[in-house]
Amino acid sequence: MTVLGADYRRELGVSRYPMLVYVLAPLTALVLQAWLPRLLHGYAWFDLPLVVTVYFALARRDAIQGTLMGSGMGLFEDALTTHAIGVNGVAKTVAGFLAGSVGVRIDVEDHTVRLILTFLLSLLSSAIYVFIFRILLGLGLEWSWLVELVKAGVNTLIALVLFHLLDRLKIRD
Amino acid sequence: MESFFVRYRNLLLLLALLVAQIIGLAMQVHRTDSGRNSLDPRDSSGVRLIRLWAEAVVTPPEELFHASKLGVTGLWQNYLDLRHTREQNQDLQKTLDRLRLEQASLLEDARQGQRLQALMDFQQKYIYKTLAAQAIGSSGSDQSRAFYIDKGANYGLQPDMAVITSDGIVGKVREVFPHSAQVLAINDQTSGAGVILETTRIRGILRGNAAGRPQIEGILADQRIQPGEKVFTAGGDQIFPRGLPVGVVEKVVRDPERDGFIDVLVKPAAHLDQLDEVLVITSIQSRFSPEEQQDMATSEALKGAEVEAIKEQQKASEIMAEKLPGLTDPNAPAANPAAAAAPGQAAQPGQSPAAAAQPPTPKLLPARRPDRFTPGASAPVVSPEAKPKTRPITPATPGTGKPPVPRPVSKSESKPGQPERSPEP
Repeated sequence: MTVLGADYRRELGVSRYPMLVYVLAPLTALVLQAWLPRLLHGYAWFDLPLVVTVYFALARRDAIQGTLMGSGMGLFEDALTTHAIGVNGVAKTVAGFLAGSVGVRIDVEDHTVRLILTFLLSLLSSAIYVFIFRILLGLGLEWSWLVELVKAGVNTLIALVLFHLLDRLKIRD
Repeated sequence: MESFFVRYRNLLLLLALLVAQIIGLAMQVHRTDSGRNSLDPRDSSGVRLIRLWAEAVVTPPEELFHASKLGVTGLWQNYLDLRHTREQNQDLQKTLDRLRLEQASLLEDARQGQRLQALMDFQQKYIYKTLAAQAIGSSGSDQSRAFYIDKGANYGLQPDMAVITSDGIVGKVREVFPHSAQVLAINDQTSGAGVILETTRIRGILRGNAAGRPQIEGILADQRIQPGEKVFTAGGDQIFPRGLPVGVVEKVVRDPERDGFIDVLVKPAAHLDQLDEVLVITSIQSRFSPEEQQDMATSEALKGAEVEAIKEQQKASEIMAEKLPGLTDPNAPAANPAAAAAPGQAAQPGQSPAAAAQPPTPKLLPARRPDRFTPGASAPVVSPEAKPKTRPITPATPGTGKPPVPRPVSKSESKPGQPERSPEP
């Protein structure tokens, strides 16, 4: 009964987008994430791929799509670094899964809820990243919670604008 | 059974992806001899393929963004730059001339060094050829100090080529793709460069720490290492030629893991966070490049011309000196100090040798035409019987410490070189 109820709610609120948006939005996020740090001289405290992952996972209300998208975005980010491939992949896989799972149970049309969720998932993603890097792989990594909090805050601010823009690209029934 | 997979398909997919990625991570990390975990410096073929795909997707839009940015900023900056171009050009020309002369004088040292190195069977490598490249993108992570340049295998780039700017070294080429390359900066944890301290001549390996600051690790504690000391490449790593600027010592800290060792934090000479254009050293050889040789020839020619000009000036001044009789001393000092003394200042038997060795006062030739300015010339206005006036006490000569001596002076002062007359009572 619970499953049916969830499916029912999902059928009611699942958003759809043109195929071009599914391709261009993540790609633009990945390119900007690689390009903007050069302009900001190392103060690029944001994670655009994570914001896009959370948005689509919430909008589609599908844990599988969120998981796959998070995994793909994370692996792509890792591929551009000199680090091992999979660190961001694991972090964003978990974030995408949680966003998609929570999206089934909450009102994703509410901007405040989406922003709070973005903030919390940013922190969670950072925590997973640090855990994998320092504990699982045993590699050196300097980090501070303050920076991660700022990063989560900046991600939330970006989400405030980006979610609004992407909402306008929805296919209206 | 089917319902289990259907019901838990979300979780199962999550677990499958997580397990696959964690296994992949485990395969990329290995334990070093020192007990630390480290990433493999060389990617496996699978990992390299993933990086190649990612780079192929990201690089074209990045180049587009970069070109757009250059176009917009270039329009404004070109106008600003042109405003003072002429003055800057003149200044640069002067600097260039000066540097060429300096280079010519240093060239002899370099050649001597080469000869000595050849004798010692050691071949110094010089930067033979470089390739300018634009930095078009970063790794996107503040934990990975790498960036991408717009030249790749199509320009002959290869892994482990050194990347520099005019300020200092930047890093080395890590991965080469068809149309771009990934450069590992010297402040990345996985980088490494052989360096030497300028004054203390202590060698070490420079690599980035966890905070992204380059440091020389594993140096025995040495009190002589002080902040401000310059750091250069040592040339032993087969990547960076010797003598390139790396930076200056910023701080010396104790190695937290090993007693008696220190880490030397280095402030890089190149602006690693603000890189636009870099030079990739595509060839290093044991001889100077044709451009450098041409510069040296120009310097030599310039230096020769300047030496000739100086000789001409000296010759002209000698001719002028010969024609100016007032400047010629007929009683020029001879090799014998006694003979060199002026007639009036001949060494007396009781005089000290030091006093006797004092150089004689040059005797001026008589003026061809009488005038009232020449010492010794007849002054018809004043009678010869006029009593000499005593000058006030003159101050002691600085540095000599000799007391001042009252000196008689008259309108018709005695000729230099002749004994002075004592003042009349």
